[in-house]
Amino acid sequence: MASWFYRGLRRGIVTTRYPKQLDEWATTLPSPPAFHSERLTVELVDQLVASCDSGALSRDERQLRVDLGRCTGCGRCLQAAGGAAKASGEPLLASLTRQALIKIVPIRGRSQTP
Amino acid sequence: MSNDAPMLEDELAAVSARLRREALSVFGRSLHIRTVDTGSCAVCESEIRLLAAPHYDLHRLGFFFTPAPRHADLLMVTGPAVRAADNLLLKAYAATPDPKAVIAVGACALGGVYPEDDLIHGAVDRVVPVDIFVPGCPPSPLALLQGLLVAVGRLGERVSALSLDLDDGRLR
Repeated sequence: MASWFYRGLRRGIVTTRYPKQLDEWATTLPSPPAFHSERLTVELVDQLVASCDSGALSRDERQLRVDLGRCTGCGRCLQAAGGAAKASGEPLLASLTRQALIKIVPIRGRSQTP
Repeated sequence: MSNDAPMLEDELAAVSARLRREALSVFGRSLHIRTVDTGSCAVCESEIRLLAAPHYDLHRLGFFFTPAPRHADLLMVTGPAVRAADNLLLKAYAATPDPKAVIAVGACALGGVYPEDDLIHGAVDRVVPVDIFVPGCPPSPLALLQGLLVAVGRLGERVSALSLDLDDGRLR
């Protein structure tokens, strides 16, 4: 074998792997919302569902169903929710099944007016 | 037909799913990607192009873009699967040699932005089977890279463990 081959191997620089940690800015990218379930009421959730243009949010009785696959991270629900929601900051959402992208958040808050 | 037939089919599905995973892990060291646009707004494409930029540099991880589906192991499909693109998507899928995988990229491809109608299927998995779903509008290059590594079994997915409930004590 040519000696340059072994020299090349010896000088070989190991390139980096997939980052062990995310860059600091990665959590500031647009991301799906996360909710304070104790501050969610049925009325508020209905407002959130109406504010979601991509149909990622829906309500099933006392559960808020969030389809991460449909979420565009536009932030309309964050504005509508006041303090009850904030961006989750999770940028790595790849999934092997469509079902794993559907998240359920319980609605724990009680309405002010019955 | 015996009464066992449905159960056998279930078993077959489990075995085929396992084989599929194992076939994908064969791609663990090197994999060629063909991108297919089914009516995307091109922002997903812009992020996919960024994968080849020095900051993300997907080549160091053994991923390469190829101009033809016949050379590809994996199809990266963007866009809401407009019906006008059925032909090209099905042809690209048929031309990709087995074993192959399909990644659906972006909220459009996952059914988020356009509802199903006469012009649009609304989601890629209504046309071809999808192995990996990468949400986002657009998904960042980092998210795409994670999707690729999850596809070949080099990284575990994290979305299953994600809770969107800030009050359930896990995320706090």
